[in-house]
Amino acid sequence: MKNFITELKEKIIETLYLEDVQKDDIDADAPLVGGDLGIDSIDVLELVMMIENDYGVIIDNKELGEKVFSSLRALAEYIEANRPQS
Amino acid sequence: MKFKLIYPRWSKMARQTEFHLPPHGPVVFAAALPEDVEVEFIDENVEPIDFEGSADFVGISMMLTIQVKRGLAIADIYRKKGVKVIFGGIATMLHAEEVMQHADAVFLGEAEGRMTEVFNDFKNNRLRKVYDYLNEQPPIESVGTARRDILNRDLYNYKGIQMVDLVHASRGCRFNCYPCAVAYLGGRKFRPRPIDKAIAEMASIDNNRLFIVDNSLAQDTQWEMDLFAEMIPLKKKWCSHPIEDNPKVLDLAAQAGAWYVYQAVFDTSQYIRDRIKRYHDHGIGVEGTILLGLDTHTEDFIKELIDFLLEIELDLAEFTVLTPFPHTRAFEQLQAEDRIFTYDWDKYTADQVVFHPKHMSSERLDELLSYAWDTFYKNESQQMKMSRLYQKVIAREKADNSYTPRKRELVRQAFGQKVR
Repeated sequence: MKNFITELKEKIIETLYLEDVQKDDIDADAPLVGGDLGIDSIDVLELVMMIENDYGVIIDNKELGEKVFSSLRALAEYIEANRPQS
Repeated sequence: MKFKLIYPRWSKMARQTEFHLPPHGPVVFAAALPEDVEVEFIDENVEPIDFEGSADFVGISMMLTIQVKRGLAIADIYRKKGVKVIFGGIATMLHAEEVMQHADAVFLGEAEGRMTEVFNDFKNNRLRKVYDYLNEQPPIESVGTARRDILNRDLYNYKGIQMVDLVHASRGCRFNCYPCAVAYLGGRKFRPRPIDKAIAEMASIDNNRLFIVDNSLAQDTQWEMDLFAEMIPLKKKWCSHPIEDNPKVLDLAAQAGAWYVYQAVFDTSQYIRDRIKRYHDHGIGVEGTILLGLDTHTEDFIKELIDFLLEIELDLAEFTVLTPFPHTRAFEQLQAEDRIFTYDWDKYTADQVVFHPKHMSSERLDELLSYAWDTFYKNESQQMKMSRLYQKVIAREKADNSYTPRKRELVRQAFGQKVR
């Protein structure tokens, strides 16, 4: 899980072009949206697309989105639990 | 010489998500100004007018009827100070006689090739009350690239997302639709710009997302196909009014970056159902523009129409009520039948009823307008539907490497105002 969280940090920085953010700046247990990183609901749209493209996991409603994006750890756990088995 | 060009503010429709696009008329007009004119542009929708600031001459550009009263009030302030004011733009043409009462000059028609004369007259203190070129359109080849450098671009940015830039590839319209004033304004003749000029202008715009504001692109099949073919290498993504219902044209439009169209949906026919499906089959989204209150509209019809819109899976819908703008067939008919009950132009917002509908009271039409918005967006909000359209454009941009990230330094601003 730790490696996957690190991978997701890289993906988030790359997807959102967060030039001033380093991997270590992202606390896996802090709120992902609305926190210090400056990630907002528009960024979430892009993250949803990235997660679908790269992991095959679809997040298609607001309630689910709120739960899944509550923290990076919650996101990682949701993707792990729901990604298609290859 | 300092020319202050002002675009008066107006109240947006109550149910529409608030957004501000960079205006098109003023930037096209500015391209026609003599080189020695220094232009300061103020869009009052996104920034206040500094009435104390210096100006040798003031221009007021109005597109909409709901800008007229504000435009006249602005003119009154400047004229009291002794600054001369000239008006232009679509709404000036539609309300010319009223505007003349508050202006030193009104310019009617298209500006290209005419402004040297107007500014010479100003400099020589012989400004004419009216410059009427409404029926003398300049050669379409003389239309140059709009002067977008006069815009403060960061004011047209929502949380780091740049709004679409507006551009036109043609003028005029060969149709004469009931609620529309274009036939009066631009003549009934479709006047396409030379494709190389339209393409050069699109290429020059520092924005990957455009709104091609032509009245309808569906007027000359070969021109439309040639235009789309030339647009493909630009990799722009764009919205527009209707595209011709022809598989070859739609295919080229999709390749050229058609993102979504504003398409009038006026009945529940199989034709409309197929029309929307064909757009979708080509990956082009559809925002339905739905006009309520025509003489054929009963309450039952309006309810059926809303159900139909949900069935055909429109990506978005915008509902308005018939509004009899001057110089339209709608105005002529409703005025002749004494059915217009207010000429307060501030109420001509297209979401307020200003006439007596044929099959219901004005109050009932107002209720049905609310019913339309509520019903269409009941299961999925306007914001969610807009998000889906936005995701589509991002996906296409990422696929062809034309994606531009949000401006992170503006994520806490919306149209120049701080947001949480």
